[in-house]
Amino acid sequence: MTTNTFPDVARIDAHDKVRGATRYASDDSRPGMLHATLACATIGRGSIQSIDTSAARALRGVRLVLTHAELSRLQPAGFLLAGGYGVQSLQPLTSPNIAYFGQPIALVVAETLEVALQAAALIRTAYAVEPHQMGLDAPEADIVAQQESPLPKPMFEDVHVGDADAVFAQAAVQIDATYASAVQHHNPMELLATVAEWSEGRLTIHEGTQNAEGVRHGVARQLGIPAEQVRVISPQVGGGFGQKNSLQGQTVLAAFAARALGHSVKLVVRRSQLFHASSFRAATRHRIRLGADHGGTMLAAIHETDAQTSRHDLFPSVNAEVSARLHGIANFRARERLVRTDTQTPGYMRAPFEHMACFAFESAVDELAQALGQDPVALRLANDTQRDPVTGKPLSSRHLAECLRRGAARFGWARRSMAPGSMQDAEGQLIGWGVAAGAYKAATAPAVARLRVYDDGTALASVGVHEMGQGIRTALAAALSRKLGIEPDQITLDIGDTNSTPQHITVGSWGTATAVPAAVEAADAMLSALAELLPGDAAGRSPAEILRAAGRRSLDVAIRRKAPGQPDAVFTRLATGLPAPLGPNYPDFVSFSYIAHFVEVRVEPTTRRIRVPRVVSVADCGRVISPRTAASQVRGGVVWGIGAALREASEVDPRYGGFLNADLADYVLPVNADIGDIEVEFIDRADPLVNAMGIKGLGEVAMVGVAAAIANAVHHATGIRLRDLPIRIEHLM
Amino acid sequence: MHPFTYTKPRTAQDAIRAIAAGDAGTRFIAGGTTLYDLMKLDVEAPRQILDVSTLPGIATIDTANPRELVFGAGAKMVAAATHAGLRADYPALVEALDKAASQQLRNMASLGGNLLQRTRCNYFRGGAAYACNKRSPGSGCAALNGLDRGHAVLGGSDSCIAVYPGDWAVALAAFDAVVDVQGTAGPRTIPLAQLHREPGSTPETETSLARDELILRIRVPKTPLGRASTYHKIRDRESYAFALASAAVALRMDGTRVREARIALGGLATRPWRASVAEQGLVGQVLNAATARAAGEAALRGARAGHHNGFRIELGIRTVADALLIAQERV
Ligand SMILES: Cc1cc2nc3c(=O)[nH]c(=O)nc-3n(C[C@H](O)[C@H](O)[C@H](O)COP(=O)(O)OP(=O)(O)OC[C@H]3O[C@@H](n4cnc5c(N)ncnc54)[C@H](O)[C@@H]3O)c2cc1C
Ligand code: SF4
Repeated sequence: MTTNTFPDVARIDAHDKVRGATRYASDDSRPGMLHATLACATIGRGSIQSIDTSAARALRGVRLVLTHAELSRLQPAGFLLAGGYGVQSLQPLTSPNIAYFGQPIALVVAETLEVALQAAALIRTAYAVEPHQMGLDAPEADIVAQQESPLPKPMFEDVHVGDADAVFAQAAVQIDATYASAVQHHNPMELLATVAEWSEGRLTIHEGTQNAEGVRHGVARQLGIPAEQVRVISPQVGGGFGQKNSLQGQTVLAAFAARALGHSVKLVVRRSQLFHASSFRAATRHRIRLGADHGGTMLAAIHETDAQTSRHDLFPSVNAEVSARLHGIANFRARERLVRTDTQTPGYMRAPFEHMACFAFESAVDELAQALGQDPVALRLANDTQRDPVTGKPLSSRHLAECLRRGAARFGWARRSMAPGSMQDAEGQLIGWGVAAGAYKAATAPAVARLRVYDDGTALASVGVHEMGQGIRTALAAALSRKLGIEPDQITLDIGDTNSTPQHITVGSWGTATAVPAAVEAADAMLSALAELLPGDAAGRSPAEILRAAGRRSLDVAIRRKAPGQPDAVFTRLATGLPAPLGPNYPDFVSFSYIAHFVEVRVEPTTRRIRVPRVVSVADCGRVISPRTAASQVRGGVVWGIGAALREASEVDPRYGGFLNADLADYVLPVNADIGDIEVEFIDRADPLVNAMGIKGLGEVAMVGVAAAIANAVHHATGIRLRDLPIRIEHLM
Repeated sequence: MHPFTYTKPRTAQDAIRAIAAGDAGTRFIAGGTTLYDLMKLDVEAPRQILDVSTLPGIATIDTANPRELVFGAGAKMVAAATHAGLRADYPALVEALDKAASQQLRNMASLGGNLLQRTRCNYFRGGAAYACNKRSPGSGCAALNGLDRGHAVLGGSDSCIAVYPGDWAVALAAFDAVVDVQGTAGPRTIPLAQLHREPGSTPETETSLARDELILRIRVPKTPLGRASTYHKIRDRESYAFALASAAVALRMDGTRVREARIALGGLATRPWRASVAEQGLVGQVLNAATARAAGEAALRGARAGHHNGFRIELGIRTVADALLIAQERV
């Protein structure tokens, strides 16, 4: 186990990114490349009766128009959560059925993007319209109890420990409240984009994806060709956040068109189309019942969730996985239900369940503190646990109490006056201070790592992981450099390319905990192999010196690594592009990352604008490998939390289906002017069990609890408890 | 997006001749931040575009003239917002520009094009899927029974409740600005307050300009009220957002009493909305929280709530009241 801390180094690709030199798939341009665009359905549900593409086809410069008539023979890639590869089971353009507003109905390929866009606008479609259903208040027939659904158990089993109902009923202090959130959409800067190119029967796909291996196997299956004939390259993702975690609908369309035309084809999904082309954060509703004794011991909790899914897939709901773990509550019952709506299948968006689960639960804890007249930090500290409340197993490490204590000290929490509405600034703005805790599973995936060192002092490392702005290249280079004594800029990182090692899906905050220990293990193997080259004489020499002394040009090692307790069968899944992570439940322990957020809000007395001038976040993510990018992850997570709590909502007009505010001006993301000081601190203590380097995960826990801390602060400022997100001016008028 | 020709007439006369020779598919363009945007959405599909942004003299800003401020229609928003002395003497005008859009848009957008920006109603922008009388006359108005959180509470009709989204025109309305235009029929001057029309039963007709009329400049009579003015804008985020409610106000005081007041509302109405009754009600009053609130109430009198926008009536009242108190500090 590494015990010392890692130095603060700059992001290795910082200069390239700031100068715009980093190339993404949508920047790609190659000789003879053709441009494709999508035409999309304008009804909420139904089917295409006829589609007239003649005007589009007749347009000069149009090379190909594809509809379901041409593509019905594509094989299904399957839904990621049903054993397949796709973001949903439905592949647009393979049938005349329209499952949701905005579903692509045609692909136009032309010599220029302008011609493609013009042609797409000339397509005329007649529909048979059927009724659609968009919201959580759905008829019984559209509501699925997850426990009774075909979703695999125990993975998607309702949490049930002790006798929550009986204990809650007897509890001296009871909170019973319902919390909800609107649909939200990921809006990374990089749009979904595919460049497909065929050469001698082999397909190369350039696409920003968090799952190159899954895209490769999925698209091969759709086209009915061996995966060996497909290469997927994703060296840089311009923001993933779960949106790019699996095979998207546009990929095979570009591949099919490129094969048909004998030219490379670029297909960019426009921002307005993105709201219907990819997944989104489902609308959810959470009823929380929380019972405690007068002293503030939390005795029982019941967490019931209704979460949106699509009509064609069951996107699971795993909210209680985290809410049952926040505090040491002996009796806990969850019930997760899925509500079928006529949308594309919702999916993973940063802290996909944890954000809302903790918003609901940590709001309820704040309500409990209020009811008890207790300080909300003290209440949480009094209910801490070192054993996993759900399984009874030990926790690999849990420093949430220290996060709360250090955060409180740094924030100045002791100066908080308890009564809502009791703090004001000189200009009469209401001040509110809120706190909330967050947790996120510490999972690990299998990985293969290969390392080669050269006698000129350089090295080449391949491992399964994707760089999506989180800074994994920086973390890998730092860890390898430290082991091998080779400068970071002398190490080439071959990641996100299926010609390298298998590229397992990089999501769920397992990227660093998966790839960095694997790379370091490869480096250890390299040091042993180098030592064997010069027995007894290697000490104190650099790898290049050893190679030169041994008369070798280069040396290779490869290792493979899996999560503690995983069977070797996971390597087969790894090799076939299927997810193979483990966690938070390991055979002998349970592992989570934790965070505490302290938020100050100011509420204008008249027009009720809410500002967030200050946030302090203290995270327990195990060992921090790359302090600079780690702090940046947390700041990004806090910004997301501010967006989720105060800004973002995808608007649904139930009469039409789809999402109405489908652009960056009208989908209200936070801007720089919305963000104040964000102070980040790490416990930075290695986890003793989860991997040799003691790394848990950080990317998602960073935003978990932010929304609750904000809502709790708004309550502290105004005395108004707001349980629906986003919170906007009208809710405080 | 559809093909179009793009030309740059050399003089205003050439531009007017060219537009008169064309049909409804011939349009002026300046910064393009409204027109190109709507073309990409297929809401507008002009066939011929005449770029007037570099016509001789059209980008001139002149504040030295003793009687009036003169803003060439082709001047960029950023040029006006940073023009020497303007912030001190007419803070409302500068704030209206500064709080609009983003720096990138303000670098591109012209003051004349700004006046003619079109509504952000999502049903209008969303295209053929939605009923919209403005985009497709006679098709109905999806907003009336839809997501109307951002729609007008003043000046709407049974045909359309789309908000006029701009900020600059609201500040200009408070200062009695006029617009010089020139068309085939010759030059004329239109009071800014008469440039935009309420939707009535013809929401597709948004202004009183003839198709061939080119905006040359905007003129604002100089007034001592300029200094004690503000543009107060409340929006869903701190920057890069249209107004939920805004107020341009300007004051002239006699001690603690109001001698003259100007109030115009933005983000709440189907056109820039001058609140003359509220202005008159303030004259002779001691300005304080209560009289400011009363002015806000007078300004919003007659406002009609839809399904989700009712809060903006109260928000509008408070915005006007706050704006008056901010302006008072600048006297
Ligand atoms: C994302 C976004 C956010 C925005 N936010 C705001 C905001 O918060 N507040 C705000 O006020 N505005 C906002 N805007 C609108 C922006 O200010 C306008 O788009 C811009 O001012 C228009 O100026 P332009 O020169 O680009 O106009 P153009 O697009 O070139 O033209 C607009 C219209 O004016 C006509 N036109 C142009 N010049 C003349 C002329 N001299 N004579 C006659 N007709 C002419 C054109 O034919 C066209 O119909 C926003 C815009 C966007 C895209
Ligand atoms: S409010 Fe006006 S612009 Fe919006 S849908 Fe109705 S008619 Fe169209």
